[in-house]
Amino acid sequence: MGLAVGIDLGTTNSVVGVVKNGIVATVPDPAGKRLIPSVVSFHPSGTTLVGTPAVGRRLNDAANTIYSVKRLIGRPWDSPQVQQARGTLPFELRQGPGEATMVAARGEVYSLPEISAFVLRQARAIAEAALGEPVERAVITVPANFNDLQRAATKTAGRLAGIEVLRILNEPTAAALAYGASGKQAERIAVYDLGGGTFDVTILDLAGNVFEVLATAGDTALGGDDIDLLLADRMAEELLTKHRFDARAQPAVFTRLRLLAERMKQELSTREDYTLAVDDLVPGDRGTTVTWRFRMTRPELEWASLALVERSFAVCQKAIEASGGSVGDLHRVILVGGATRMPMVARKVEQFFGKAPVVRINPDEVVALGAAIQATLLDRARGASGKVSSPRIAESSVVLPFPHEAPSKLAELALPVVDPKAASPAAPARRPEQGAPAQFLPGVSTRSLVFELPEEPASPSEVELSSMPRVRPPAHTLPGISAEAAPPPPMRPMQQTARYPDVSPADPPPRAPPLLIDVTPLSLGVETVGGFCDVLIDANTSVPCDRTRTFATATDGQTLVHVRVSQGESRLFAENTCLGQVEVANITAGPRGEQKIAVTFEIDADGILNVRARDVATGKETAAHMQLVGGQGAHGDMDAMQARQAAHPLAPLSGAG
Amino acid sequence: MPSAALLVFLQSLDSKSYYDVLRVPRGAGGEAVQVAFHEFALLYHPDRYVGASPEVARLASEIFKRGVEAYRCLSRRANRERYDRALARGRLRAEVSRPSTAPPPPPPPRTLEDIASTPRGKQLALRADRLISAGRLDDARVQLVSACQCEPDNAELSERLQLIYEVLALEPD
Repeated sequence: MGLAVGIDLGTTNSVVGVVKNGIVATVPDPAGKRLIPSVVSFHPSGTTLVGTPAVGRRLNDAANTIYSVKRLIGRPWDSPQVQQARGTLPFELRQGPGEATMVAARGEVYSLPEISAFVLRQARAIAEAALGEPVERAVITVPANFNDLQRAATKTAGRLAGIEVLRILNEPTAAALAYGASGKQAERIAVYDLGGGTFDVTILDLAGNVFEVLATAGDTALGGDDIDLLLADRMAEELLTKHRFDARAQPAVFTRLRLLAERMKQELSTREDYTLAVDDLVPGDRGTTVTWRFRMTRPELEWASLALVERSFAVCQKAIEASGGSVGDLHRVILVGGATRMPMVARKVEQFFGKAPVVRINPDEVVALGAAIQATLLDRARGASGKVSSPRIAESSVVLPFPHEAPSKLAELALPVVDPKAASPAAPARRPEQGAPAQFLPGVSTRSLVFELPEEPASPSEVELSSMPRVRPPAHTLPGISAEAAPPPPMRPMQQTARYPDVSPADPPPRAPPLLIDVTPLSLGVETVGGFCDVLIDANTSVPCDRTRTFATATDGQTLVHVRVSQGESRLFAENTCLGQVEVANITAGPRGEQKIAVTFEIDADGILNVRARDVATGKETAAHMQLVGGQGAHGDMDAMQARQAAHPLAPLSGAG
Repeated sequence: MPSAALLVFLQSLDSKSYYDVLRVPRGAGGEAVQVAFHEFALLYHPDRYVGASPEVARLASEIFKRGVEAYRCLSRRANRERYDRALARGRLRAEVSRPSTAPPPPPPPRTLEDIASTPRGKQLALRADRLISAGRLDDARVQLVSACQCEPDNAELSERLQLIYEVLALEPD
């Protein structure tokens, strides 16, 4: 029945995590790389390059090489983010039906979920090659602050990649699950997640095996990419003044500057000063080129990016207030996302929260690891089908061999790497079941931090990996911060509630699986007279949740009701993100005001809105249809999008990287 | 039958206060409410029912959502104070307190006459309304242009004129 994996679908990189034989690990590609660049390039030969092979195409074939899609997915054409991106991205964005944003490349037009689907297909192919088993189900992570449109589009991408999406999971929540509890006492933690394109902060309470998200806040347009852009701008400025060379005039050249800027930023995380020397960029006399040197020190970088990093703390403040507590209530702060490798970020986090952040697990991989744990939890619970029959026995029947206390033992991963030579370039990479089984080379691996989970019941089909060495790795440390947290505030003792005799839930079994209770990041509202927004579900309400609102007809004989729905915190409807409209049809005609329709707005565990309607008088369900903004392109024509995926084979995995 | 047991429990929630849904005493503090919600979640959260039949999963989800409703009311002080007053009047659920008061969105678009605000504007707009219903869009446009001249600040009226231009595929001068 195949495997369930966790996929961190990132702005710049994606990562696959898996639980196998009780070990949680990220999956390497044949070259040993665990980060899959979220880049898709449509090659003239008709194959589609995804990941590492596509990165170089950003320079050679910028118009047909698509990246940073996550910044735009689920955003309608007229949104400021899309309009701004049109000016900075070297590939063509186009307006699709229903305000959808599309990408045009090599003579075809794709919706954004289609582009993400290519990345997911590559992630899936890498996982299948490394694990030797088909991957059919996945938990896919999204920034906690993603709205309904962005989540729905991400889910569509998963389906297009042929994956059954078990859950759309929030990235910081996944990271918290990967870290687990530090002890048996209840504690409150903050997850500070600064990724390539998005920033999230999430406050959680960990009590026993329950992970309850109290509040989350974020900025879907703040990340490491913004720092790269800032540096690239600075480089372009210098090129103009020093060499009279306008890098901004050519998208491909500016793309190159962005890649150089990213490297500069990364180098300055480990050293104090760095000089780039580029030979082939600036034209000199008679067809020659001039060597261009660009030097920067860490303080210069920090000064330049200070304002961006400071923006994140206003968001943190908002989340802490929404959690109903204060900074002092937090026991731990966890750093997630590649951009938190910048020493300044860790330093500023420590200043703001008053305690050293914890970076025990690689911040690039922790989200995928958490997603893999959740995928396994959901998948195993599903395997226990039928046993979960009544609330009374529900708890004891779905006991998984996961620890009551969360995993704490770290081990060096020894997931095997497929021998590059074994994957013949002549034979295109297909699903493992179609080709020869992938060869495993035990012991060949790149370093990755994982933790051990107790073994799940062994099944005969599983590859024997138990002989792999499990080594405790050195703690992952960032320069300038310690892996140890400052003394936490006093732990809150867990309280017992009064029990009522009529219902007596059994005490939670000691090894019950962890349960995540997440929240919806944004308030959901409907438009009312005067352009105001009537909030139905507050931000930071646990999901799934619902709210029913009754609408009366406004005219005699009216059979159709339209309700416009938005997400956001403004009292004015127009200032929030309009999700679309609910159309309730087939209302029994009658005098105005007498026909009443109860519309239930549900936010499911994926954070996605579902609606249903009921005729109040008859009690009968009425057809309710949710028309999403940009919906036609994003979700309307699944068949056409699926056919397009089938028509675009991925390039075979190669070991060369 | 398990789904029957869940159904009975779900229906019993209709006669319970939020305190009884979460099984906490009236004066319970914030932490006690949270612990009670966690116990409720361990029993009814949909993730505990992913392998169950669709009907059982749906019922559990409905029950969990009622727990969330109770929790978000009792865990926020302002909500709880308001709820306690409502409960004293015998109202068990805070959220159904505004039945059918929400104004419906106006499904048929407002007539041009409604949008116009001056007597002269209304007169011209009414003509335009009638011409539109008669399918004479271009004539309606002429009337509406005059109406807009009477009311240069009426943005909604200009918007509707714009719409007519779009339908006629004419570029306004």
